[in-house]
Amino acid sequence: MELGITILVTVLQIAAVLGVVLTHVAYLTYAERKILSDMQDRLGPMEVGPHGLLQPLADGLKLFFKEDIIPAGANKIIFSAAPILVLVPALIGFAVVPFGRDSLQIGAIEITPYITDINIGLLYILAFSSLGAYGILLGGWASNSKYSLLGGLRSAAQVISYELPLGLALVGPILLSESLSLTDMTVAQGGGIWRWFIVSQPVAFVIYMICAIAETNRLPFDLPEAESELVAGFFTEYSGMRFSFFFLAEYANMILVSCIAVVAFLGGWQAPLPALEFIPPIVWFLAKVYFLLFFYIWLRATVPRLRFDQLMAFGWKVMLPIALVNVLLTSIVKYFLNQWAEK
Amino acid sequence: MTGKELFKKAVFYEILQGLGLTFKHMLFGKTMTEQYPREKPSLPDGWRGAIVQLRYDDGSEKCVGCALCEAACPSHCITVESAEREDMPQKRYSKRYTLDMTRCVFCGFCVQACPVTALASSKEYELATTDKRELIMEMDDLLKLGDKYFPIREKRPQYTEDRFNFFKQNKASGFPVAHVPVVNVPIAKKGAA
Ligand code: SF4
Ligand code: SF4
Repeated sequence: MELGITILVTVLQIAAVLGVVLTHVAYLTYAERKILSDMQDRLGPMEVGPHGLLQPLADGLKLFFKEDIIPAGANKIIFSAAPILVLVPALIGFAVVPFGRDSLQIGAIEITPYITDINIGLLYILAFSSLGAYGILLGGWASNSKYSLLGGLRSAAQVISYELPLGLALVGPILLSESLSLTDMTVAQGGGIWRWFIVSQPVAFVIYMICAIAETNRLPFDLPEAESELVAGFFTEYSGMRFSFFFLAEYANMILVSCIAVVAFLGGWQAPLPALEFIPPIVWFLAKVYFLLFFYIWLRATVPRLRFDQLMAFGWKVMLPIALVNVLLTSIVKYFLNQWAEK
Repeated sequence: MTGKELFKKAVFYEILQGLGLTFKHMLFGKTMTEQYPREKPSLPDGWRGAIVQLRYDDGSEKCVGCALCEAACPSHCITVESAEREDMPQKRYSKRYTLDMTRCVFCGFCVQACPVTALASSKEYELATTDKRELIMEMDDLLKLGDKYFPIREKRPQYTEDRFNFFKQNKASGFPVAHVPVVNVPIAKKGAA
C-alpha cells in the first residue's frame, strides 16, 4: 500500500514535469519567433489565435498529420531510433532539477519539488546529454544523404569539443558546494546574490554559457544544421513526427541547460536578497530560467554563425585552457580556504 | 595588443554592443510589417495596375474601336474588332474587345496610345484567381472595373451632340448632296490650231 502510493505519486510527478516541460517547449518556439521578429522589426506569427498564441498548437497538429517518409537507402532501424535517442536524454535530465524549496505535504504523502534527488545529479545530466550526440550522429548517418552525414559529423565534432570545457566549467560550482547533487548546490548558494556562484566563478559561468549554446546547437554555433550550407543538417531527411522529435529535443535541451545554469551559477530557487524571500522560490527559479532562455534568443538575433574551423579553434585553443586554469585556481583557493577554516 | 583591446575582447565588447542594438530594436523599433489582407498599402498616384475601360458621364463607352491600343501593346494582349454603329453610320465602336490580363505587363502603352482616353491604369492589383480564364477580360469586365475605380466621368464632348443631330437629320432627310455649279469650259479640239 505504502509502496503503491509512492509509485503513484512519482508517476504523477513525472507526468506533471513532462507536461510542464513540453508546454514550455511549445511556447518557447512561439516566444523565439516573437522575440526574433520584434528584434527585427517584424510582427511574427499573428494569424492563429490572438497574436498567434495558438501557433504552437497549429504547428504541432500540422507535424502530426504530415506524411512520415523514410528515404530509400536509409537504415530503417537506426533512422527510426535516432529521434528517440535524441529526445529521451533531453527530457530525462529534468528528473533531478530542483524547481523549488518546499515539499508539499498532503496527509502522509510528501510531494517534493523535484522528481528525485540523487547525489550525483550533475554527473547524471552530463552523461545523458552526451548520449544525445549519438542520436544526432546516427540520424545523420542513417539518412543516407550527404547533407545529413556532414551535419552529423560536424555535430559530433562540436559536441565532443564543447563537452570538455562544459564539464570543466561545472567543476567550479562542484568544488565550491562540495556536492554533485543539484539540491545541495542550490542550498550552498543561499543567503543573497553575493553567495551565488556566478560571483565567485564568473569565468566558469561565461564558459558554461558559451558551451551550453554550442551543446544545444544554437546560433552562433548552429553549424550542424546550418541552413545555408547543409539544408537542415542531420535532420534534412526527417519529416512529420520524427522531425518534431528533433525539434522538441533541441528546445528541451535549451531549457535543460538553462536550468542547470540557474542551479549551478544563479542560485537555483534562492532569492537574490534575503528581504525578497517572501516571493515563492519556484517563481525565482522560473524567472531566472526565463531570463536565460530570453538571452539565448537575444543572442541568436544578434550574432552571425561562426565558421567551422573558427568554432573548433575557439573550443580547443581558448575555452579548454581557460576552463582548466579556472579549475586549477579554484581548487587551490578552495584548499587554502578549507585549511584556514579548520584552524 | 594593448591592454584596452585585451579587455574589450575579454568582456565580449562587440557582442555586447550588438546585443544592445537588438534590444533597442525590440523595445523601440518601428514594426515594418503590413497585415496585408486587413491592412492595405496606400498606393501612390500613377500606380499602374489593371487596365480598365472608361465611360462618358451619360454612360456610353468612350472606346471608338480604333485599335490603336492593339497596335501599341508590346505583349499583344489586346484584340479589337470594330464595327460601325447601326444608328450612326461613320461612327465606330468596338464590337468585341478582349484584354488578356494574364499577358499584360502593365506598361501603360495602351493608355498613352488611346486617342479618346478610353483606357486608364487603375489601382487594381489583387488579380489573383483560382481560374485563369477569368483574367481574359471582355469589354463588360473592363467597364465594370472602370466604374469601380473611376466614378467621376468625363463629360461627353459637345461636338458629339452636334454630330448626333447631324446624323439624326441625315436619317430623316437623306445625306446632303453637294450642289456644285456646272461650268462649261470649251474644250480645245486637237489639231485645230
Ligand atoms: S498595359 Fe501594356 S501590356 Fe498591358 S494591355 Fe496595355 S499596352 Fe498591353
Ligand atoms: S481603347 Fe482607345 S485605342 Fe483602344 S480601340 Fe478603343 S479607342 Fe482605340
